[in-house]
Amino acid sequence: MTTPDWRALVRAMLDRITGDPAHDADIVEELAQHLALRYDDLVAQGAGRDRALRTALDEMEEPARLAQSLRDSTRPRRKAPTPPPTGGQPSMWNDFVQDLKYGARVLLRSRGFALTAIVTLAIGIGATTAIFSVVNSVLLRDVPFTGLDRLVMVWETDRNTGTVREPSSLPDLIDLRSRSRQVSGFAALAPIERTITPRDGEPTRIAAVVATHELLPLLGIRPTHGRAFTAGEDVPGGPNVALISERLWERQFQRAGDIVGRTIRLNDVETTIVGVVPTEADFGTMQVLRSADYGRGFADRDVRSRVDAWLPLRGDPAVLVRDTHPLLVLGRLAPSAMIATAQAELASIMADLEATYPSNVARGAFIEPLADVIFSRVRSSLWVLLAAVGFVLLIACVNVANLLLARGTSRLREVAVRTAMGAPLPRLVRQFAAENLVLTAVATVLGVALAALALRGLVITAPADIPRITEVRVDGLVLAIAIGVAAVTGLAFGMVPALQARRVDLQGALKSDDSRGATAGRERGLLRSTLVVSEVALAAVLVIGAGLLIKSAWKLSVVDTGFRSDDVVKAEFQLPASRYPTTGQWPNWVEVHRFNDEILRRVASIPGVRAAAIVGNHPVDPGSQNSWRVVGREAEGADWPEVPIRRVGVGYFETVQLGVSKGRAFEDRDGPTDPPVSVINETLARRFFDGREPIGQQVRLWGAARTIVGVVRDERINGLTREPPPAIYLPYRQAPSFNGGEALLVRAGAPPTAIARAVRAAVREVDPQLAVFGVQPLAEAVGDSVAQQRFLLRLLLAFAGVALVLAAIGIHGVLSYTVAQRRHELGIRMALGATPDRVTGLVLGQGARLTAAGLAAGVVAAVALTRVLSTQLFGVSATDLAAFLAVVPVLGVVALVATWLPARRAVRLDPVEAMRDH
Amino acid sequence: MKKGSAELLILAILEDGQRHGYEVARQIERRSRGAISFHVASLYPMLYRLEGRGLIEGRWVEKAGQRRRRYYRLTTDGAGVLAAQRSLWQEFFTGINRVARLRNA
Repeated sequence: MTTPDWRALVRAMLDRITGDPAHDADIVEELAQHLALRYDDLVAQGAGRDRALRTALDEMEEPARLAQSLRDSTRPRRKAPTPPPTGGQPSMWNDFVQDLKYGARVLLRSRGFALTAIVTLAIGIGATTAIFSVVNSVLLRDVPFTGLDRLVMVWETDRNTGTVREPSSLPDLIDLRSRSRQVSGFAALAPIERTITPRDGEPTRIAAVVATHELLPLLGIRPTHGRAFTAGEDVPGGPNVALISERLWERQFQRAGDIVGRTIRLNDVETTIVGVVPTEADFGTMQVLRSADYGRGFADRDVRSRVDAWLPLRGDPAVLVRDTHPLLVLGRLAPSAMIATAQAELASIMADLEATYPSNVARGAFIEPLADVIFSRVRSSLWVLLAAVGFVLLIACVNVANLLLARGTSRLREVAVRTAMGAPLPRLVRQFAAENLVLTAVATVLGVALAALALRGLVITAPADIPRITEVRVDGLVLAIAIGVAAVTGLAFGMVPALQARRVDLQGALKSDDSRGATAGRERGLLRSTLVVSEVALAAVLVIGAGLLIKSAWKLSVVDTGFRSDDVVKAEFQLPASRYPTTGQWPNWVEVHRFNDEILRRVASIPGVRAAAIVGNHPVDPGSQNSWRVVGREAEGADWPEVPIRRVGVGYFETVQLGVSKGRAFEDRDGPTDPPVSVINETLARRFFDGREPIGQQVRLWGAARTIVGVVRDERINGLTREPPPAIYLPYRQAPSFNGGEALLVRAGAPPTAIARAVRAAVREVDPQLAVFGVQPLAEAVGDSVAQQRFLLRLLLAFAGVALVLAAIGIHGVLSYTVAQRRHELGIRMALGATPDRVTGLVLGQGARLTAAGLAAGVVAAVALTRVLSTQLFGVSATDLAAFLAVVPVLGVVALVATWLPARRAVRLDPVEAMRDH
Repeated sequence: MKKGSAELLILAILEDGQRHGYEVARQIERRSRGAISFHVASLYPMLYRLEGRGLIEGRWVEKAGQRRRRYYRLTTDGAGVLAAQRSLWQEFFTGINRVARLRNA
C-alpha cells in the first residue's frame, strides 16, 4: 500500500478555504504535514495503516466546518446570528418580529442559497403571474357584451367553394330577419375606412364600421354620451351621423363635454356626432372580420386596428343587391332556441331563398357561437402557455424544495443543539417558518416586478388579433395564488429539518461525522433525487414542445411563398371619390390613373429603387373573390368555385419577383381602353385548363372577356400556412379599385425607412391631402400573418430555457450536496489509489442516472401532452421524432455541465503538486 | 474547559521557543500526560486566530533535505497576554481550590 497523498486528500476534503489560491495552498500544506506526521506516529505506535489513516482523517472532524472555521480564523470574523431567546417573552408579536429578523440574518449569511432560492421563486411567480394575467384578461374576464353565450354569427356558406364563413347580402338579411323565430334579433356590420380631415393638421385614417341600427343594442353596448342610432337614421338617404369611440373623442376632441351634435369630416363628408361609445365597444370585431372568408376590410391591412367610428348602414336593397355579400351578420338566439335549432331553421330559410333566387345558388347558412369566433384562435395557444408556465412554477418550487432539503440537512446540527438546549418544537417550527416567510416575501417582490416587466413585453410582442391584449394588467388574484404556492412549498420543505429533529439521533448529529447519513438522510436523499427527476421530466416536456415549434417555424420560414418580400416596402392610400371621381366609365377613371402614373414617375427617380407597382391587392392581402367563366366553356364553369381576382399594375411581377412561367407580364399597352387582358396562375391553369393551352383563351368576368396573355407562379395569398388558391390577375389600369383603395409596392436596395420617407414625400407632392398608411416592409406584413405561431414559439422557447436553467440548478445542487457529503469517502478512495477519472465517473454516473430517469419520464409525458400543440404546428406532427430526439442532447449537455462542476470539485487536484510529492 | 484555556496552552508552549503545529499538539498532549489533546480541527483555527491577533507569528522555514515547514513563535504582544492570562488563571485556580477545600472540609 502506498503512502497516502495527504495534500490531495486535504485539498479534496476542504475544497475552497479562503478563496485565495496561494493562501489555500499554504494551509493545505501545513495541514497535510500535520496529518502525515500524525499518521507516521500512529503507525509507529503499532496501529495498522488503515486504522492510522482512519484516525488521522477523523481528527479533521467535519471537513466543511473545518474549512469554515479556518476561513473565519484567517480574516476578520463575521458575527454569527444569535438565535432569538428561546424562553419567556409572552408576546407572540415580539417573537414573530424576532424570528423574522433572525431569519433575515440567517439568509444574509448564506447568500448563495438565499439568492438561488429567491431568483428561482421569483421567476416562477413572475412568469406564472404574467401569463395567467393574460389568460384572465383575454379569456376569463367579463366581456363588454350582454349574454355573449346567446350571441351567434350568422354566416353564409357556398357549396361551390366549400367556404362556410362568408358575409351575407342585404336582401338575405332582410328575409332572415322577417322569417326567423329561433333568432330573435339580427344586426349587420361591414368594415370601412375613413379619412378624418381636421380643420388643421394632417389627415388621418381610421378604421370604422357601418352597421345596422340594431348592432349596439343587440350586443348590449350603451353609449357613454349621446345615443345609439335610431331606426329612422338607418334608412337609405338618412342623415350623415356617426358614433365615435372614446379614444377618438379624446384624440380629436380632448374629451369635450359638448361632443354630441358637433361634426367631424369623414372622407370630406360633414358628419354629425350623435354619441360616444366605450373603447371596448369594438370587442371581437377584429376576430369576426378575420374569421370571414372575405370582406375583411381593414383587418387584412392592419391586425392591430381599433374601430374608431360607427356609421349607420342606411342599406338600400336596390343598391346592395342579392349577389353582393358585404355584411357580417350577428344574431341573438331566442330564449328557447339552441344553436342546432337555429341552424336548422336558418338553413331551411336559405334553401327557400336558393329555390327562389338564381343568385342564391349553392348558398346556405352556418350558425357559430360568437364566443367561439372571438376566442377560438387564441384559446388553445393561451392554454398551452398557461400549462407551460405552470410547469415552470412547478420546477421552481421543486428546485426550492430541493435547496431547502439540502440546507435542512446541514442545519440538523443547529436544530439538535437548540433542541438539546430546551427549545420547544413549536418554537423551532415557528422560527423556520419565519425564515421561509422572509424568503418568500423577497421572492414575491421580485416576482411582481418581473411579472410587470414580462407583461409589458408580452403586450408589445403579442399578436394583435388576441382580443383585449392591450388591456392586460397584472392580476391580483393570480399573483396571490402564485405566492401561495411558493409559500406553501417553502414552508412545507423548510419545516422538514425542524420536524425531523425529533427523530434525529442527537449524539450523531452533534458528533457530525459521516454517521449523519442515517435513515433520515437517506430518505431525504431519495426525496431529493425524485424531485430532480421530476424537474428534469418537466423541463424535457417544455424542451420538446419548444422543439416542435422551432421545427414548425423552420418549416414556415422555408415555405415557398411564390413572391419575394425582402427589400419591398408597401404603402397604402385611399383616393377619395370627391377628388378622384368614380362617375366616369370604369375602368377609365382618368384622375385615378393620372395620380398613379405621377406617383410611379416620382418613385422611379428615388435612388435605389429597382421596381415599383400600383396594386389593388398586395401579396399578403387575400383580396376578394369572384365567379368567372372561360369563354366557350360557359356550361362547364357553372359549378366552378369563385377565385381571387388580383388587380396588379405594370411592374408588379418584377417588384415581388413572381416568375412568369408562360406568356408575358402586364405592359403599358394594357391600358384602360386597350383590349382587356388577364394573367392566370399555375394552379388555375392546371385545374381548369387541364393540358389545354390557356394563352389566347379568354376569361369572362366583370363585364368583359379578357384574353389570357400569361401564366405566373403561385403566390400564397391566404397566408403562409395555406396552399395557394387558383387566381386570376388583371392589369390595374383595366380594373382600378371601386372604392379607391390602392397600395404602392417598391423594391429598392435602400433601407426601408428611407424608402418610406421618400414615398411619403412623393405622395405629398402629388396630393398633399392624401393620407398614407400601412407603410411597412412587406416582409413585416408577411411575418404578421404568422405572428401567433411566432409569439407562442418565443414564449415556449423562453420557458424551456428557464426550465433548463432551473433543472440544471437542481441537478447541480443535489450532486454538489452529495459530493460534499461523500467528500470524506471520495478523498479516501483517492488516497487509496482511485484515479480522478474513476471518482469523476462516480459523480457523473449519479448525474446521468437522474437525468436519464427524468428524460424517460419527460418523453412519456410529452407524448401525451404535445397533442395540445397540434393546432399550432405547421408541417410537423405533434409526436415528431426529431423534436423528441433533440431533447436528449439538449438536456444531456445541460445535465453534463451541471454534473461536471461538482464532479470536478470532487477530484480537484493540482497535478503539479501531486507530481512533486512522488 | 474554560473559555480561553486553549489560547493559554498554545501561548505557553511557544514560550519555550518556536515550534511547528504538530509539535505544539504533541507538546500539549505530552505535558498534560494525554489529558488534553489538540487535533487538526481544533488546533489550526486557533493558531490562525492567535496569529491574526498578533500574539504569535508563523513563518515558513526551509531546511536542507526537508519540505518547508511553518514554525510559530511568541510575539511581544503574545508574551504580555500570556503573562496576564497566567495571573488570571492563577487567581481562578486559587479560587477553585479554596472553594473545593471549603466544600471538602
